[in-house]
Amino acid sequence: MGFEWFVASRYLRSRRKQSFISIISFISIGGVALGVATVILVIAVLDGVEYGLRDRFLANEAHVVFRLHDHSFFRDYQKRITQIQAIDEVVAASPVILSQTAVFPEHSEAIQDVIYIKGIDPVAEDRVTGFSKLVSGSTDFQDSEYIKNARLIRNETITGGIVLGGRLAARLGVIKGDLLRFVVTLAKHPVNESMLIPDLANFVVIGFYESEMAVYDNNFGFIHINDAQKLYNKANRINTIFVRLRDAELAPQIARKIEDTVQFTVLEGIPDARTWMELQAPLFSALRLEKIATVIIETLIILVASFNIASTLIMTVMEKTKDVGTLRTLGSSRGNIMRIFMIQGSVIGTLGTMLGTTLGLAFCWLLSSNAERPAYWYIIVLAVPIALQVLIALWRALPNRDGWKFAAAALWIIGIGFALYCAVRPISFAELGLSHIYQMNQMPIKVNWFFVIFINVLSLLICWLATLYPAWQAANLKPVEALQHE
Amino acid sequence: MKNSTEVLIRVVDLHKSYYDGETELQVLQGINFDIYTSELLAVVGASGVGKSTLLHIIGTLDRPTAGSVLYSEDDVFTLPDKELAGFRNKEIGFVFQFHHLLPEFTALENVAMAALITTPNHKTVYKEAEALLDYVGLAERCTHYPSQLSGGERQRVAIARALINQPRVVLADEPTGNLDRRSSEMVLELLWDLNAKSGQAFVIVTHNQKLAQQVDRVVRLVDGKIF
Repeated sequence: MGFEWFVASRYLRSRRKQSFISIISFISIGGVALGVATVILVIAVLDGVEYGLRDRFLANEAHVVFRLHDHSFFRDYQKRITQIQAIDEVVAASPVILSQTAVFPEHSEAIQDVIYIKGIDPVAEDRVTGFSKLVSGSTDFQDSEYIKNARLIRNETITGGIVLGGRLAARLGVIKGDLLRFVVTLAKHPVNESMLIPDLANFVVIGFYESEMAVYDNNFGFIHINDAQKLYNKANRINTIFVRLRDAELAPQIARKIEDTVQFTVLEGIPDARTWMELQAPLFSALRLEKIATVIIETLIILVASFNIASTLIMTVMEKTKDVGTLRTLGSSRGNIMRIFMIQGSVIGTLGTMLGTTLGLAFCWLLSSNAERPAYWYIIVLAVPIALQVLIALWRALPNRDGWKFAAAALWIIGIGFALYCAVRPISFAELGLSHIYQMNQMPIKVNWFFVIFINVLSLLICWLATLYPAWQAANLKPVEALQHE
Repeated sequence: MKNSTEVLIRVVDLHKSYYDGETELQVLQGINFDIYTSELLAVVGASGVGKSTLLHIIGTLDRPTAGSVLYSEDDVFTLPDKELAGFRNKEIGFVFQFHHLLPEFTALENVAMAALITTPNHKTVYKEAEALLDYVGLAERCTHYPSQLSGGERQRVAIARALINQPRVVLADEPTGNLDRRSSEMVLELLWDLNAKSGQAFVIVTHNQKLAQQVDRVVRLVDGKIF
């Protein structure tokens, strides 16, 4: 241990020998620790929300959506799908007709809503978005029991089955087996040609789509692609291809590749492949912006904590002015003095950062693990520090009979630990009634190790910088004036 | 060993002024004298005459306004801070009126401190420090903190501290100024004994006439000059 370490470590301790560290050092360490812990926890929650949304989104969403620039229908789609599927990294491609239509349910006389219609090939769609897993009811668009038992009035015909977004169905007030009428086109009245009458198509509700993605559950109806072609009179044509990739992160490159691979004539139109990132840009860029803002604010928290270190050191320097004078008479150089105080500050910063990282990660762990975590995990986590504390207390109790203090400290830690155990559970969005907003049942936590390392380095750096001025101030005390300081 | 004629420190035309706003206060006005190896020199004079200032400058703690201090003919004030600190560490021991022990460290650590600055080998340093404490009669007090020692004991620890690096000169500023008579006598006896045994030069600033009579040579400071 060098001379500077020898002196600095003594200054970190309190005058009373039995405490490991002086109260003022402890407060400074606590300040840094709280700052670091908060940053780690908050960023873990933000990352968790982003990745949670992302995973949920990507599980049932195409990674690339291919269309023509003007969204018009095109022919030869099987050939084009084959071309797309030949590209590396493409797992599946599914033909889709995307459209909108006004609907009114069986018992209603008026148009109730305009909904998005997605005409799909159920088998291909399953491979891209896992469609059937999210449907309660039937996905058999032609031969479902519901269609056979549909209550038809007059001499209407049924075009096919429809799977409705769950919340859309609730809003329209329809249940499985009910008829839903689409307004497809307007036709001229056979007698009075100045009058337009709607051309209606009838669909039977055969199932509900429950993805917990509000945009689908609220607005979409799924019909068979053949029915959609019939409905819009676009035989053998589609307007969209949904593509799933092996790695969603590669979407930008693969999208460009698809645009280059799939050939269209000028008359047909310009191919336009959009990635999931582009389609959800507002959401994800909002999340990213939020994270940047948070990192800045949290860095300020650490900066504030570092002021603690600076003021602690300035106080120490003032308190030790006479000692600095003495050390100078004994032959310490300015550099020696500067290093003594820099070491003192850096030790505070390092201990604070380490403690903060441990605390932050511990909270992340407590918040992220689910209810199935076995109880003995808690016991281990609590028992280890308590056991250590009790051992220290017993050990200390032998020579100086101060054991009761440490027993009290141990009890205190048991209390804190128990409070943590009771209070810190995963935050349930479901219990708080927030699952609809966040589309998740539990507050998600994702620890980004790169960021944890980054924040550690940043905190150490800030704390180190905070030591510079006080240490410089100590180093430049004039020996004679310092000696005479009272 | 006594009455050496070898010059250890040569003080040459030393001036020191302090500025209080516009007014210049000339404390030292051209001091010239030599300090010989292993002599016991007392600097006496009325209080406020600049004795302590002179001692601080000889001890390289303060810089003169003009003039120089030559150790073996080398002007120490030309050294950069780090080397000057090293020089002070090796060649000069200080004893002050107030003990100036470091309160966070034990008596043993206080004595060892000057050696610890340059020598990382704690064992031999602590052994030497222990021997010194034993010499000043405080072998049992090694693990005591300054707050647990009496005034006289503290001053004896301070003397032991000044000796750890076997400096060529020990500068003492009113070493008994803050002690009762019994402790004073003990401390002085220690100084005489040390001087007789070790051959180190001792420069003692004092206004204690009795003390001044017991030294090899007296330098009297009047109005910033030597008489």
